[in-house]
Amino acid sequence: MADAAMSGPGRRIYFRQGTVLKLVVLAILVALIVLPLLRTVLFTLQSETVTAWSDVLTGRLSTNLFYKPLGNTLIIGVIVSAFCVLIGGFLAWLVVMTNVPFRKTIGVMATLPFMIPSFAAALAWGTLFRNDRVGGQIGWLQGMGADIPDWLAWGMVPTLIVLTLHYFSLAFTIIAAALATVNSDLVEAAQIAGAKGGKILMGIILPVTTPALVAAGSLCFAGAVSNFATPALLGLPVRMQTLSTRLFGMIEVGQVSRGYVIGILLVLISGAFLWAGNRIVSGRRSYATITGKGGRAKRFDLRASRWPLFLVAVLVLMAATVVPVIVLIASSFAPSSADLFANWTLHYWIGESSPDFAQGIPGIIHNADIVRALLVTLALGCAVAVTGMTVGLLTSYTVARYREGTLSAAITQISFLPLLVPGIAFGAAYIAYLGAPIGPFPALYGTFALLVIAGTAYLLPFSVQTGRAVIQQVGGELEESARITGAGFLRRLVSITVPLAVRGLAAGGLLVFVKIIRDLSLVVLLFTPTMPVLSVVAYRYASEGFAQFANAITVIILMISIGATLIANALQTKSQPWLKN
Amino acid sequence: MKVLSTTCIGAMSILLSTAALADGHLDTMSAEDLLPLAEEEGTVTVYSFTSRIGRVEAAFEEAYPGIDLQGFDISSTEQIARLRAEAQAGVTNADVIYISDTPVVLTELLETGIIGPYVPPRIADRVPAEFQSPLLAQRLSTKVLMYNEEANPNGAPVSNLWELTTDEWNGRVIMVDPLQRGDYLDLMTEIVLRSDQMAATYEELFGEAIDLGGMATAGEKFIADLFANDLILVSSTDDVNAAVGRLGQDNPPVGFTSYSDRRDNEEEGWALQVANDVVPSPGIIFPAIVALADEPNNPAAARLVIDFLMGDESETGGPGLAPFYVAGDYVTRTDIPPHPDAVPLDDFNAWRLQPAETATIRADVGDLVLTLQ
Repeated sequence: MADAAMSGPGRRIYFRQGTVLKLVVLAILVALIVLPLLRTVLFTLQSETVTAWSDVLTGRLSTNLFYKPLGNTLIIGVIVSAFCVLIGGFLAWLVVMTNVPFRKTIGVMATLPFMIPSFAAALAWGTLFRNDRVGGQIGWLQGMGADIPDWLAWGMVPTLIVLTLHYFSLAFTIIAAALATVNSDLVEAAQIAGAKGGKILMGIILPVTTPALVAAGSLCFAGAVSNFATPALLGLPVRMQTLSTRLFGMIEVGQVSRGYVIGILLVLISGAFLWAGNRIVSGRRSYATITGKGGRAKRFDLRASRWPLFLVAVLVLMAATVVPVIVLIASSFAPSSADLFANWTLHYWIGESSPDFAQGIPGIIHNADIVRALLVTLALGCAVAVTGMTVGLLTSYTVARYREGTLSAAITQISFLPLLVPGIAFGAAYIAYLGAPIGPFPALYGTFALLVIAGTAYLLPFSVQTGRAVIQQVGGELEESARITGAGFLRRLVSITVPLAVRGLAAGGLLVFVKIIRDLSLVVLLFTPTMPVLSVVAYRYASEGFAQFANAITVIILMISIGATLIANALQTKSQPWLKN
Repeated sequence: MKVLSTTCIGAMSILLSTAALADGHLDTMSAEDLLPLAEEEGTVTVYSFTSRIGRVEAAFEEAYPGIDLQGFDISSTEQIARLRAEAQAGVTNADVIYISDTPVVLTELLETGIIGPYVPPRIADRVPAEFQSPLLAQRLSTKVLMYNEEANPNGAPVSNLWELTTDEWNGRVIMVDPLQRGDYLDLMTEIVLRSDQMAATYEELFGEAIDLGGMATAGEKFIADLFANDLILVSSTDDVNAAVGRLGQDNPPVGFTSYSDRRDNEEEGWALQVANDVVPSPGIIFPAIVALADEPNNPAAARLVIDFLMGDESETGGPGLAPFYVAGDYVTRTDIPPHPDAVPLDDFNAWRLQPAETATIRADVGDLVLTLQ
């Protein structure tokens, strides 16, 4: 409205262009996200399925079907996201703004936990903390004579810890990127004025990084409430259910409509929380921190607390990365999971097929299925990273530049939606959506294209959100000068916004790549034998009791993820001043 | 482009209709006659609910080097979801479906025409009629009460299912969540269907008639009591196997799992044994089905695979049946001698699953389980 009021000729073009762009982005998002979900909603409203709503919300089953899992889900979401922002923020602050020892190492290590599939972390927890409640194998600690109580072995506490250790690195990535762009002028001005560290933190750094903190908190919240593997593995023995385990269970036993209803409610609840977070960010005026000028501020000198703070960081990072990786690697060599460090063999990696070993399954380098799955997975990761970041950039640019109006709000909300939809439900929705021919378009079931499209849509929140925190900080003034000198929309995007935001975009592309190659829940239904992906192959082996093959594949996924991170870091050195000495 | 695709569709429909015509003929052909057609097709895709398909694949390709068998290990529950989605998309990926979960298979896959029956003529006279119709059962599989025979050298520590609801077994009975695995929901359903026997064995153990305490049947009362006795739920049968079977335990739990998992005792360091004498029954025994996709892409090779899976003319069925000729799996062919290490089928006390009956109350039992956890 404000734009229309300023009725210069230039302004009118600006207004129209924004609207056109918004409509284009909105159309893409509707096609990618809204239509598949709408199909799910319509499914639950058919006459034979509509009773699922009353079963879930008011019937005698509702307490166990919905309300108890809801309580658990909310506890997990709130606590995990709070701790993720605290730990991720603390590490980001150490790495970006202080002179803590081994900053670089901490910086690289802090991005690793997110690349370990959460089910692997949950399994590793069990290997260490499992007590004799479930009988069978006990964990390493219990084996050493410690008496592990149920609350530490199963249920809510371990779920919270494992999920926090998984998602904090997501918070770290987002907050570190934002901290690194804090305008040094502001900090230096404060330092000259004699402000103490705490005052600078509370008065300058926290306020300008608010979008990143909120973004990190929202992403961790959404990830935690829709995570399936961890509560399923650690919660089931004490019958702790969350909405996502409930949803999975319902779809597994064929009660699809009840499952969809729970899924829809999960979307609505998380949506309410994220909407609130979004309000906090958009209520503020400007977060522009990268401008045409400014350099690096001096680092805070931690003095005597350098090493104690370093130790704290190392403890967190060891627990989140080193320990699970050791357990994973060890179990890819150990023939019996009962004794993790004995009788190691390379069979699961390089063995030929032999009828008396693992039912004739050859080691993974001789296994044609796994090799093919590896190729498909890599191709999928690259394709989704490119398509995801393209759509993500367009979306985050649009929302950041044309923040006002219902269209922008709609775009923001829609781009968040996939986060709230557990992967398996999203996969099911996509099969319903693109599984059958639509008009002149053929059915995409079983094609690479379906995996790419669904993956792009599913991970859009990550590409949008990561890009957004950075793009919001790219000062509008540069782009405005370009516009005044007559540069068109595409030109401005390519010459100014993209180069300045390239770190955020690369980080986003990286997140997307890593997330899709180790994603299980989305692809588990989209997977077809002709289009295998590594995580599903690993899951199949795990569920059939061949944990060694599963862990060996997980190690491969891990290696690719770490490799991708290192390459991305190398490409980004120029734009990563916080890693320079 | 448009012309081309129209031509394609035309060609495809002609091909499909000739395939459909040929199918009827294929059903009566012997393996020898199928072989040249199958070799022409060159490949065949199998969805299997057991990982043992890996060994079948190797054996099949050795027997028929010209045909590439692509075996995929997919749980029954997931196969059902996948096959329904594929049918909706108009795509046929699998040629052969090897699956359990019959109560759902009959209603969701057979009645909807997603899969169809095939009985190789060679063995038709050697499989009892009940295992040929409506779909061919290759063998019978189980979900039964198992115990640790190392810790209990004198036999099962339980003789009556109701003992599992007493203090002694509090927190020491383990099974897979019936809301996540269909086989276990079938087991719970069977217990409800057998409520008369459950009531009788209750009186046998406790010396008084059962007080249903608000439950409709003795079976439901049992399930409620079992859950109230801190029943432990896990997510896969291997978790049950490891918990119950691991060697060197002083006081191991008992649990419901597959009798045939006993075959892995040596490799995994387990001591699993079936509690066959428990009353009224240790659990359920149910068919493992082999069927054809509605319109398989490789109709001749698909039939050849099913023929192969039913075993050859050697004494124990040869390489096709070898992965399933283990203690705890009961091959349906009458001419194959029972496995020497297993409880003979006639002495095996597990309830025989009645798919149609189970299907009628399965969802209600699922709801009951839901209210208990």
